[in-house]
Amino acid sequence: MARLYTDHLHVGYGDHLIVKDLTTSIPDKKITTIIGSNGCGKSTLLKAMTRIIPHQSGTVILDGEHIQKEKTKRIAQKLAILPQTPESASGLTVGELVSYGRFPYQNGFGRLSKKDHEVIHWALEVTGTAAFKHRPVDALSGGQRQRVWIAMALAQETEIIFLDEPTTYLDMAHQLEVLELLQKLNREQERTIVMVLHDLNQAARFADYILALKDGEIVKAGSSEEVMTRDVLREVFQIDAEIGRDPRTNKPICITYNLLKGENKHEESIYSIPVAVRAHS
Amino acid sequence: MIQSALLKKQRAFFIGLMALIVLTAIIGMGTGYASLSFDRLIPTFLGEGSFKEEFILFSVRLPRLAITLLAGMALALSGAILQGITRNDLADPGIIGINSGAGVGVAVFFLFFPVEAGSFIYFLPLAAFAGALLTALTIYLFSYSRSGGVQPVKLVLTGVGFSMALSGVMIVLISSAERTKVDFIAKWLAGNIWGTDWPFVWALLPWLILFIPFTFYRANRLNLLSLNQPVAIGVGVAVEKERLLLLLAAAALAASAVSVTGGIAFVGLMAPHIAKALVGPRHQLFLPLALLIGGWLLLLADTLGRNAGGADGLPAGIVVSLIGAPYFMYLLLKKA
Repeated sequence: MARLYTDHLHVGYGDHLIVKDLTTSIPDKKITTIIGSNGCGKSTLLKAMTRIIPHQSGTVILDGEHIQKEKTKRIAQKLAILPQTPESASGLTVGELVSYGRFPYQNGFGRLSKKDHEVIHWALEVTGTAAFKHRPVDALSGGQRQRVWIAMALAQETEIIFLDEPTTYLDMAHQLEVLELLQKLNREQERTIVMVLHDLNQAARFADYILALKDGEIVKAGSSEEVMTRDVLREVFQIDAEIGRDPRTNKPICITYNLLKGENKHEESIYSIPVAVRAHS
Repeated sequence: MIQSALLKKQRAFFIGLMALIVLTAIIGMGTGYASLSFDRLIPTFLGEGSFKEEFILFSVRLPRLAITLLAGMALALSGAILQGITRNDLADPGIIGINSGAGVGVAVFFLFFPVEAGSFIYFLPLAAFAGALLTALTIYLFSYSRSGGVQPVKLVLTGVGFSMALSGVMIVLISSAERTKVDFIAKWLAGNIWGTDWPFVWALLPWLILFIPFTFYRANRLNLLSLNQPVAIGVGVAVEKERLLLLLAAAALAASAVSVTGGIAFVGLMAPHIAKALVGPRHQLFLPLALLIGGWLLLLADTLGRNAGGADGLPAGIVVSLIGAPYFMYLLLKKA
């Protein structure tokens, strides 16, 4: 049995349900990616599974404990979450921000132990941010900043790491850099990674397991081979996709696509559509 | 993880502010309506002053000095907490209805509960405290929603709304009251430090002894709360619980201060803000400075006010507002 799973989970705001009756489990020591169109509930699911927002009914279980009943500090020792693009770091330096990742292990006054310093040092090294340790976070470029926030999540030393769109606002090279870092953490340290991604091809390339969501329900869950199919993409995104194979990674890849005419409720786009499938939020 | 250069800077400011407080206190002790000249200060301290000198120093000036210092510190700490949990640099104890709540408490008590003159001054702070705390709790309840807890923006808006409504209540109360009674209430509202006796010092001190370590213990939590809510939850801060505890602490601190000084605005806004401008947003560093700045500001305001024209001088609350209002405008302009 997986360490983390949901059982008949309902999440919503007020009367409006975003995630409906969702039962799934997150495979241990694998990279799981959640995909789906805008407003399908993927971010909401991520937040509910990491207790950032409460859920209406059903349960999220981590190591046999109900996630909303267990002490939040204890959960933070097992599970880290990097929320969507945290705005400013209000004048903190890189080192300080990353040191906040040690909060679950500290007492109130926040003195850092030798162990804390070692872990912070490691997190800075592994994310390639050690050189900026004394620089203010807000003065860094988008890619550097994203890596600093990831370093903070790493400093939590958790076996499970959640990330909400870790590649947003990054250029192609930096996107790959972040994803390869996460892959390395997964392969070398057996960490469980769960992330929301917008780019289908990146999801297919890096994920061992993909959850495809539509209207708060799972349409398909499985390997990239199982999920990256014409039928699934038609159902999830209302697109007619051409699936091929990445000549380098041998993973399925969406080469090009069109909007489905008639069936979709979106306005027809007059723009030419880029090769990579990117739904913007 | 705080850089040592910054620590040094903070220490320097700390010592500087201490010196400033001592200097202002000495000037304050030697000036005022009753005369006690500067060259008599040390002999009087050593017990060699005349009866009159000793009376002025130990029963008039010193307790007043202690009260203003402590009240300024309490307001500063309260403001720092509120700015942290609401993630809003313009927050001060006024926004959780402390001044207006305490004001209504005082007015209702003064107008409707006849108490003997002797015990009156000891009941008044209790009335102010109760009024302030009740208002803060009501505002908290009104801005609480079951799904999302207390949202900072909602707290601020509800607080402003309540403060205005309570000011309206005050006007109704005052306009229907006798002239002589109105006079005292008006003075109270203007922040005329009136609880200037040692018992008031002993009433205020425990709150600070309790809540200064309480807040310092929560410095890292405040750092995280003021940074970003999802991040704070993610690293294991019990956000709802901390917010409620800290809000209660802020309310109790400000209420205890206001109950002996009268309505004082802006100290809770300015002190943490200046401290943050000096050493940055880490609560461990700026809280000690904010405490000193708050104490010093009120001390300065009271010293200036006592020696400003007229036999009664100007209430400290008004002097602080004269400094604070332009500062507030400056903050708003800088933000826009």
